[in-house]
Amino acid sequence: MQGVIPVPIREKVISRESGIWNATITFAKGEILFIQAPSGTGKTTLIHCLYGIRKDYEGDIAWDNNSLLTIDEEDMADMRTKKLSIIFQDMRLFPELTAYENIEIKRRLTDTVSEEQVFAWMERLGITEKRNSLGKTLSYGEQQRTAIIRALVQPFDWLLMDEPFSHLDHTNIDKARKLIAEVTSSTNAGILIADLDENKYFDYTKTLML
Amino acid sequence: MNDRVLNGLLDRLLLQSGKKIRLFAALGALFVGTSLFLLSVAIWWNFNELLFGKNKDDAMASTYLIIGKRVTDQNMGKPMATVFRPAEIEEIRKAPQVQDVGWITANHFPIYAMMGGNLGFATELPLESVPDKFIDKTPAEWRWQPGDNSLPIIISSQFLDIYNYVFAPSQGLPQLSESTVKSLALKLKVGADDRNEIMMAHVVGFSDRINSVLAPQSFIDYYNHKFKGEESGGGPSQLILKALDPSDTKFARFLTDHDYSTNSQNLKWSKVRAVVEVVATTTGVLAILIMGISILVFILFIELTVARAHQSLTLLGQIGFGPKFLSGYMNRHFLPMVGLISICSAVFVCVLQFSAHILVHSQGLVLPPLPGAIVWISFLICSALLVVLIMRSIKQSIKP
Repeated sequence: MQGVIPVPIREKVISRESGIWNATITFAKGEILFIQAPSGTGKTTLIHCLYGIRKDYEGDIAWDNNSLLTIDEEDMADMRTKKLSIIFQDMRLFPELTAYENIEIKRRLTDTVSEEQVFAWMERLGITEKRNSLGKTLSYGEQQRTAIIRALVQPFDWLLMDEPFSHLDHTNIDKARKLIAEVTSSTNAGILIADLDENKYFDYTKTLML
Repeated sequence: MNDRVLNGLLDRLLLQSGKKIRLFAALGALFVGTSLFLLSVAIWWNFNELLFGKNKDDAMASTYLIIGKRVTDQNMGKPMATVFRPAEIEEIRKAPQVQDVGWITANHFPIYAMMGGNLGFATELPLESVPDKFIDKTPAEWRWQPGDNSLPIIISSQFLDIYNYVFAPSQGLPQLSESTVKSLALKLKVGADDRNEIMMAHVVGFSDRINSVLAPQSFIDYYNHKFKGEESGGGPSQLILKALDPSDTKFARFLTDHDYSTNSQNLKWSKVRAVVEVVATTTGVLAILIMGISILVFILFIELTVARAHQSLTLLGQIGFGPKFLSGYMNRHFLPMVGLISICSAVFVCVLQFSAHILVHSQGLVLPPLPGAIVWISFLICSALLVVLIMRSIKQSIKP
């Protein structure tokens, strides 16, 4: 990231100190980064910019020297199936598909994790019974767990997370973070998690204030 | 990607929003549009076949015609005034529809024909020659070289008709079949009295194309030169033209403008053709318009489908489905439908063509049982256009 300032919150961003906005930061492979971001500091904006779905910023963001401002959609899609995975704050499940289908559609696209593995992960996160419930009928907690598994069924170098456990209780947070840690450490993937408060979900290698 | 489960999921996300009836309506419109377009091409082609088509029997006849300079009060008695000069022949060669021009060379020496036996008549016989390629069917015996005393001739089949139906009955003479005529021999006295040559002529063929008595070119050239010397090189007074479509109004105008006369019936068709052209053009324009509208309806249907699935498409893009993948999926969904509709239209037009073939057959007319190449070419062009437009529309509407 180099001198990134989101245009819509430009004034707000430049009026305060930030470890990320308007700074030059390099993420090293395998890093576990925590970005602490109080409300209104642009946490979701940052995650969306890093994931390439927002481009309304000054400066530049590049993954493996591919600037997200100039990358074409096909390469971006390729990056999203091979290098970058995400857990959105608002989950973004397809309401007309079941919990299982929401995961399956991604699994079929990338074809790296077996169906059995998915069943096992669903079991671990306690959503097996909900596998045939439509996305729109799932509770936020169930949606969040489904979104977590969906993010894990593809190969990736970086997992971006935006308040990934906001709708989970302590027990489920524990299960989910352990699963994420397991998967990411087995592939030596990096984690970038943005959340409101300080936490110990993972063994962070770096913490930055937004 | 040929993954049934994935395709099933994508179907549910991208195609469930529209009502089936809308899809059927859009496909129906496309069918009507494509069929009308193909029909209009087929109708135009059939008109051409009926009005200007060449029946097998007179195959080439209607594309060949003989022209001459009109004999008027002004040029009467001036033989050279009705002779075609090289520049004029060159101009005719370049005229619309003209593919080839041949000289009709007449004999410039006296020929006297005598027939013995019961018929017992004798007459002056004007002979003409045309280049062999202008003869309907060149008979095997169609050759002559100086020294030969047997001369093959071809007579107009109309002459035989006149003899059989007009002359013979009135004179109480027997009617003659073509084979009988071919077996008869005519005695010819060629040339002026003092140095004439006697030879036998026999009919080797009949022509529908040329209303004359034809002898091989080598014969006419040889004796024209022998008896008239250089004087015979004055140019032809008649030309035989091979015209692609003599009913073309431009060709007819060319003949009128130059005051050339012809006996071709084909020219009469030029007025009918003008009417047919107007009708066919109007139908064609309407058909293209309707087809355009039907393509537009179908494309709008696709765009509506994509617009309705906008949210799903956006989210699919966000979880890694690239535009190429998604437009490929949409193409795989819509293009077979378009293919099916195109094939249905083609089958429909074929059925109508076959019905027309049966229908006109009972009226003694001939139409081919299947549409011609031009209809198939139009079909291919129209299908290709449809595919390109639909792929483009899908690509553009899916573009993030």
